[in-house]
Amino acid sequence: MKPRSAWGIAALVLVGLFVGAWPCLAQLNLMVQCPADTDGIDADGDGNPANDIVCKHITAGDGFVTMADGTVMYTFGFSEVPDGTPPGQVFALRQVKSELPGPTIVLREGQELYLNLTNVGMINRPDLFDTHSVHWHGIPNSGSIFDGLPESAPTVKIGATFPYYYATLGKEGTYFYHCHVEVVEHMQMGMIAHIYVLPRQDQDTALKNSGSPPFVGFAYNDGDGSTGYHVSKALQLAGFDSRFHAQHIAIQNLPFAQLSDDYHFINGRGYPDTVNPNPLGASPENNGHFSQPMDTRIQANQGERILLRVHNISTTHLFTVRVLGIPMRVVGLDGKLLRNGSRDLFYETSSLTIGGGQAADLLLDTTGVEPGTYFFYTTNLDDLINGQQERGGIMTEIVVCPPSGCGV
Amino acid sequence: MRKRRWFGMALAAAALWAIIMEPSAWAKILGVQGTSFQLVAKQDRITLGDGDSVVMWGFALGDGRMQYPGPTLIVNQGDTITVSLKNALPATAGNVSILFPGHDVAASGGVAGVLTQEAPPDGTTTVTYTFTAGKPGTYVYHSGTRPDLQVEMGLLGVIVVRPTNPTPNSDCPPVPDGHNAGPNPSLCTGTKFAYNHSDTAYDREFLMVMTDMDPRVHRLVEFGRMNEIDTTSFFQTVWFANGRNFPDTIANAQVPWLPTQPYNALFLMHPGERILVRMATLGRDPHPLHFHGNHVRVIAKDGRLLSSSSGKGPDLSYERYTVVVNPGETVDAIFTWTGALMGWDIYGHAPGDDLAPYEFVADHGANFPVILPSRDDVVFGLLYSGSPFLGGEGSLPPEHAGLNVGGGFFYMWHSHTEKELANNNIFPGGLITFLGVVPWDVPLEAE
Repeated sequence: MKPRSAWGIAALVLVGLFVGAWPCLAQLNLMVQCPADTDGIDADGDGNPANDIVCKHITAGDGFVTMADGTVMYTFGFSEVPDGTPPGQVFALRQVKSELPGPTIVLREGQELYLNLTNVGMINRPDLFDTHSVHWHGIPNSGSIFDGLPESAPTVKIGATFPYYYATLGKEGTYFYHCHVEVVEHMQMGMIAHIYVLPRQDQDTALKNSGSPPFVGFAYNDGDGSTGYHVSKALQLAGFDSRFHAQHIAIQNLPFAQLSDDYHFINGRGYPDTVNPNPLGASPENNGHFSQPMDTRIQANQGERILLRVHNISTTHLFTVRVLGIPMRVVGLDGKLLRNGSRDLFYETSSLTIGGGQAADLLLDTTGVEPGTYFFYTTNLDDLINGQQERGGIMTEIVVCPPSGCGV
Repeated sequence: MRKRRWFGMALAAAALWAIIMEPSAWAKILGVQGTSFQLVAKQDRITLGDGDSVVMWGFALGDGRMQYPGPTLIVNQGDTITVSLKNALPATAGNVSILFPGHDVAASGGVAGVLTQEAPPDGTTTVTYTFTAGKPGTYVYHSGTRPDLQVEMGLLGVIVVRPTNPTPNSDCPPVPDGHNAGPNPSLCTGTKFAYNHSDTAYDREFLMVMTDMDPRVHRLVEFGRMNEIDTTSFFQTVWFANGRNFPDTIANAQVPWLPTQPYNALFLMHPGERILVRMATLGRDPHPLHFHGNHVRVIAKDGRLLSSSSGKGPDLSYERYTVVVNPGETVDAIFTWTGALMGWDIYGHAPGDDLAPYEFVADHGANFPVILPSRDDVVFGLLYSGSPFLGGEGSLPPEHAGLNVGGGFFYMWHSHTEKELANNNIFPGGLITFLGVVPWDVPLEAE
């Protein structure tokens, strides 16, 4: 046996502590699968035949988030491993670092996604040996091997990595992903994230230029630009039951039957944190990492169209959402253009109920809308709370600027 | 939770083994056909997924035991339907009646109630409800007497009205674009239409009745403490699919150990088949039913086709991956699955192999895209065959129950108000069931 330095032994001890039952880094399966795109085919139609394979490496573990009233809650979560991270650093860097929501994945239709999931364990709950998974919620014609169901697929143990693969051709639209292991618990604990697929039509410059000003993109392959937008935002509606999280970190029985969220949020933040442009949630408990990086303040110039990709992933609540003062048109539901053959089923409304596991694509047209601040919020008024704090929860601001913009 | 979870799965295991071995057990819509039905309200018990036993009030067919949900009444469009009701509940239950939303009902006999004629709890008085089953579709029936309590107690059921004029249509498209042909002898003959239009044709139909329960109410009823029942503080902790909690949902239909819960909810299909899912919610809360595997196409609500005008078929239908079914509402949807556009050959074919029925041709022979981790790195689900391929069978670890004999792909259909996936404090349970897509060489009973 080779002599080891004191540092090396210390590191091994630390790793041993971190990974619990795993005695040695060499036994960890951190193999990330990411084939090169060498087929010469431009599958996403963007003119580059070599960028059609997207590789992601995410971890599943635990951490802490900070609610808008200052309450710190224990969570499970996904976190993205930056490119170039040495395999030996994956555990050390990614443990106790939840992100809420998890890493957003945006794909161009035609791309293939290799999503590598490493289970880094829940270090604050060393008694747990849960596996984790990725369930791409709603993807059409899913294969059960990549569906993330612990009942019908393999799910990955602590210290190992599972490669999920998804082809996106014909699957443009708004989706989300979450862990499906112990699904009530793991979703309530925060293993929830955005994933959406930009339509192939985004490569159609002529159609983009048919907008005034030219569209930035489209929600779907509509063929006529009717889902074109200038500004877009993905909004994840969800909530936490503070008692469940408190029981969890206290290693007590989990109150499934009594579950009812008392904190509600958009992209992990309750109002007014929703409109805070800074990354938030760098609590000492979360190792100083920002746990809630995404704000949801929306800004557009008068005359522009705003696409809201909204989904509800609460484990306990349905939400009815409203935008006060800006006409709202429903153009897509659950990842599908709202159209049957040649018949548009779009409709205008001032409210839409979105149940758990549902998504909607809402187009806001600011033509003729007076510059000012408008609100996106839930009309379930009980859900405008951050725990005991009122005027919070599911609400954010939409700022409409003059046509020339709001300036710097 | 973990130990209980596997205990629950173990319960399911024995049942599921039997299902795979006994094709007659899968969940076609069981019910009673005819034009005249004798229902008797009775008190009995059901078994919850956590092992609890609770008192229920429900509808029985004549001299039979009550069941939860009540008997599914299967009738033909245009028929005059007569439902007679007697009330054999304990006197403390009071009167009972039945409402038939979506139908124009004439009621006679018994005593006048607020909403309709009622049967007092004497076991002999007969109330007769008569209506014409005017339009095809999925309907509910439930108590119209103190429904805040009596629906909770189980006095509810479903009516399926079959269309009388399902004209076969040469446009009927059994093979979607880009797919190999397959055996599909029944789809467009007109015998299996949900409505009078070929776009509502199906190969198999399943029922999904979603209900909820506050067991505290049932205990008060059991012990006769009727004046302590407060239905305004209802807080449900148990959720049902077809009257059962997971994992009982995927046990066989009509098993002797669930005598008052005869219906199951394990759905099996072959790739390319069109599945009609008839959904209904009765109780307090809406349930967002999420379909793993694929979107469904919502074709009707409350027994009315989503159609712009007569003859147009479901031209206002739309696709969803989660369908919210509100209390009292019914939704009909068509589901199909072929594995199209997966990017790999789901059968594990080599390029020169024969195509499977309804195989997506463009993916034929395409390589499986990843190297799966070693068996030591993962936990195999009890419904994983050990192979990623449809019809495949891989090696399984020694402790694995091997439930998926035919190499099917199993998809959870469940409420996405995820808290409803528990039986009281025990996960998993509640509003969970499974769809199994099994290869064509695994026989399923013709429907």
